[in-house]
Amino acid sequence: MTAVSILAGAVCGVLSGFGIGGGSLLMVWMTAVLALPQRTAQAVNLLFFLPTAGASLVFHIRGRQIVWRAAVPAMLAGTAAAAAAALLASSLGSGLLRKIFGGFLLLVGACELLRRGPKR
Amino acid sequence: MRISTVKCALAGAAAGAVNGLLGAGGGMLLVPLLSLWCGVDDKRSFATAVAVILPLCLVSAGVFAVKNTLPLGVAWPYLAGGLLGGALGGLLFKKVPARLLHRLLGAFILWGGIRLLAA
Repeated sequence: MTAVSILAGAVCGVLSGFGIGGGSLLMVWMTAVLALPQRTAQAVNLLFFLPTAGASLVFHIRGRQIVWRAAVPAMLAGTAAAAAAALLASSLGSGLLRKIFGGFLLLVGACELLRRGPKR
Repeated sequence: MRISTVKCALAGAAAGAVNGLLGAGGGMLLVPLLSLWCGVDDKRSFATAVAVILPLCLVSAGVFAVKNTLPLGVAWPYLAGGLLGGALGGLLFKKVPARLLHRLLGAFILWGGIRLLAA
């Protein structure tokens, strides 16, 4: 089981490194396949992103793929919002969070699939 | 396109709220916002989102650790795999076309949403 988890982490890690929601895929794996509680899955997912993003960022920074002018303001505002939202999350039930997340995913997924490719 | 600091800050706040509340999904919101609304180069918006989400996850994990116990026993194999996968993703990133990234992103998100709502 441990080997399967490492493999799942590696596959989702590649996608996370690309910036395309490997964390969400890992959440689905943990909640839908392994039937872990939503809150445990969320905590694992948060921890998962730290080494994963760190490893991919080494290459993104070297390859000049990060637009810092956009990243810095987004980080500052995002960190404040994340702290507030994480406090709120711990007082909400797991079932509701799952439904909110599911609805949110449907919306964003439809937008991404329906969008036209970049004209290049 | 000119990059708007205010728009980037708002996009970051939205991603932070989603990430803090739901534990995931902030990046998927951030990529479309950065590329379509904030004026960040389409391909670079993916890598930029990764850079933004890292401190957000750090904060969220910190808040979680104060309120609950971190499930390190469950988490470590995923962290080990993630370290390898993340490095591989970073290495391959420049070679992957943006169009494929968007298609993959959309497909995964939609599938995840259906699974969660059906559960």
